[in-house]
Amino acid sequence: RSFASQTDGESRLVRVLREKFPRASAIKVVDISGGCGAMYEIHIESEEFREKRTVQQHQMVNQALSEEIKHMHGLRIFTSAPK
Amino acid sequence: MRAAVRSGWRIGAAAAALRGRAGRPLSQAAGEGGGAEGGGGSGSREAVERLVREHPVVVFMKGSPAQPLCGFSNAVVQILRLHGVEDYRAHDVLQDPDLRQGIKNYSNWPTIPQVYLNGEFVGGCDILLQMHQNGDLVEELKKLGIRSALLDAEKDQEKK
Repeated sequence: RSFASQTDGESRLVRVLREKFPRASAIKVVDISGGCGAMYEIHIESEEFREKRTVQQHQMVNQALSEEIKHMHGLRIFTSAPK
Repeated sequence: MRAAVRSGWRIGAAAAALRGRAGRPLSQAAGEGGGAEGGGGSGSREAVERLVREHPVVVFMKGSPAQPLCGFSNAVVQILRLHGVEDYRAHDVLQDPDLRQGIKNYSNWPTIPQVYLNGEFVGGCDILLQMHQNGDLVEELKKLGIRSALLDAEKDQEKK
């Protein structure tokens, strides 16, 4: 994948996440449906997740992407607070 | 010692999910289930509440534990199996569109599978996997009075 630039879907999701998580130190979105926009893997590290249970952290991502999620078949979320 | 037990689990879940049952986008389920809140249908809050309280471990999935129909649902089944948890309630949302939408409304969570421990929503496949890897799942099962099989597996290894 080294030569592939981001898909439109990936760029849009990164943009929305940057907006909704202003304190994020790292955001990575990968289309894991082979570029079809059907399934994404989302990695996000942010101070906003500190001291929250994983399910709460994932809920925050679900809410942030609620509009986009409607068009997906599925997604994987990996959240963390900076060390 | 934990690594030896964990290495039995291969993360083929995503690949498996893509191979076959992609199913509907997460929005379409909303359309069919829109009216399901009314009068005690299988997707109503009361109905779902009853289901999640039925047993200490309740899973809403695609397919059944004997035959999961989605890679992520399969992941949940396999993780529970690794811990020796075979006695739990599993509900196949593919058999019941009202339940499929109802459970998403109930937990305010857009995806299946969904795992409930003692009536409380714990998360989906990714969260259960994380809990399995960091030891939290063993602890949560202990709170339910369930002894994880992995504790015995570790004991055996230590003896050697």
